[in-house]
Amino acid sequence: MSQLTFETINTTVLDTLSRPGKAYWCIICLLFCGVIMGASCWAYQIFVGVGVAGMNTPVHWGTYLINFVFWVGIAHSGTLISAILFLFRAGWRNPIARAAETMTVFAVCIAGLFPFIHLGRVWLVFYMLPIPNQRTLWPNFQSPLIFDVIAISTYLTVSSLFWYTGLLPDLAIIRDRSQGVRKKIFKVLSLGWSGRTGQWMNYSRAYLLFAGLATPLVISVHSVVSWDFALSVTPGWHTTIFAPYFVAGAIHSGLAMVLTLCIPLRKIFKYEALITMDVLESIAKTIVFTGIIVGFSYATELFIAWYSHNSIEMETFWWRAFGHYAPEYWIMVICNTVIPLLYLSKKIRTHVIPLFIISIFVNIGMWFERFVIIAGSVAHDFLPNAWGHYSPTWVEGGIMVGAFCLFFFLFLLFVKHLPSVSMTEMKEMIHKVE
Amino acid sequence: MNTDAIIVTGLYNTQEETLAAVEKIQEKGFEVTEVHSPIPSNALAQALDRKKSRIGWFTLTGGLIGFFSGFALPVFTSTRWNLIVSGKPILSWIPFFVIAFEFTILFAVLGNVVGIVTQVGLPDPDYEKNYDPECSGSLYGIEVASPPENADSLRDLLDETGSLKKQRETK
Repeated sequence: MSQLTFETINTTVLDTLSRPGKAYWCIICLLFCGVIMGASCWAYQIFVGVGVAGMNTPVHWGTYLINFVFWVGIAHSGTLISAILFLFRAGWRNPIARAAETMTVFAVCIAGLFPFIHLGRVWLVFYMLPIPNQRTLWPNFQSPLIFDVIAISTYLTVSSLFWYTGLLPDLAIIRDRSQGVRKKIFKVLSLGWSGRTGQWMNYSRAYLLFAGLATPLVISVHSVVSWDFALSVTPGWHTTIFAPYFVAGAIHSGLAMVLTLCIPLRKIFKYEALITMDVLESIAKTIVFTGIIVGFSYATELFIAWYSHNSIEMETFWWRAFGHYAPEYWIMVICNTVIPLLYLSKKIRTHVIPLFIISIFVNIGMWFERFVIIAGSVAHDFLPNAWGHYSPTWVEGGIMVGAFCLFFFLFLLFVKHLPSVSMTEMKEMIHKVE
Repeated sequence: MNTDAIIVTGLYNTQEETLAAVEKIQEKGFEVTEVHSPIPSNALAQALDRKKSRIGWFTLTGGLIGFFSGFALPVFTSTRWNLIVSGKPILSWIPFFVIAFEFTILFAVLGNVVGIVTQVGLPDPDYEKNYDPECSGSLYGIEVASPPENADSLRDLLDETGSLKKQRETK
């Protein structure tokens, strides 16, 4: 870190924006094909009907809402890194803040698509908006589903504005080092930023306020998502632990996704001097911490089911662990709570390959956590004659793969066209160290 | 500032050099009109005697508007259909608080954006005036106003304070 200068930071980051090679465009084309495949599956569902998905009585909330919760969760650690760690003045956040914020924006966009897909008749989406229908009925503002619409749209707006505000000084750096059309584009995007003292003073205050507002927002958004479940009376959902449990799980999965994205980014763009091993190690340590909270939540759910002596709750949690979805349950437990403990070993958390592999396991585990909570609870509620199973169909699988392709497609476009490390924040960091 | 004054910009490598130069230039009676820097600096803001940012007021105003409109919307919509169900009140304040909370954050952030536009002065189509592109990357630029007859002594002073190069523009 001590060898870094303002100029080397500029050069390292701006070099990543050079003209990409054939391999880059091949991967982009491949991901775009995946996006088209997902879009085709959705189009097929729109034409044929939502019956092509595997959702049926009693499981009416399937892969689409599992993916919705998964992507909202992924979005969360972006704000944790960019806002909460900013308020705590954690220096290690600076090199990864931009990538994490970008991940947040794209993940929220993708999460926002899934309720549309889940609706089936997507053209009726305006029912969720606060406008009266033909019988002058308004949406019910007591419903957690309406809380969710408002929370997610607020989160998307705030995280996009926060991301763009953070980009402004870096866009000016690119503008001042470009020629021709590129200069014109960045001239518009940077809004005429010139780094005047008065500009910096107001900008810093605005950025601090952004961080201060994003912090309660991020906690509220995943709490609201958890209330989609917790405010119902379904066993396995109706618990007060859901809000903190979901928030911790969201940060757990998001941090793992940050590692999944940043490790290849660091290697390909030669960011070793900026995204140091200390930074990756700090993320790994935080994952151990969130993994322990998530593990504690799993244990608390089981304990409360036993301690309450409520036969329905006891049956639900017994069935979760040893019933039809037992493999999914144990994948969830092992990937989210046991495997991250490997990061306790310094040897493992200071080597990129195990860091990367474990982050993938956490991503898988967190997807299965949402599967177990959502599908597992409604498949086995109060009445034994209403019990049933759920398996996703190829249409749901196609849309899910398409969503992952869309995420990586957008992220890859971003890293070659905009600075993936915040040059300004890195300079502030080394200036403080000096 | 005299309308005939010229602006000379000196470029410096570090914040410490820039601060020392600002003090020296002010001591000699010249007016430092602006400093461009690649990172924010409280010390420079103090040296130039900049007023405290007022962005917080925009944010607060936005937040208050959001809080009240966040309650007003569900209250208004609930009272459009006054049908009591299960003896429960028409207005459910606790769920409405969730809406009010989200609206508070949303409008506070929008207020913050209005603050950026008005206080930071963006978008700024005239940003290139007296601006050296190197100031976005790594250098600090001090803009100094001077009557035309004192221009030579100002250039000497900038040299003395360690300026890397000078630009000149007539205002």
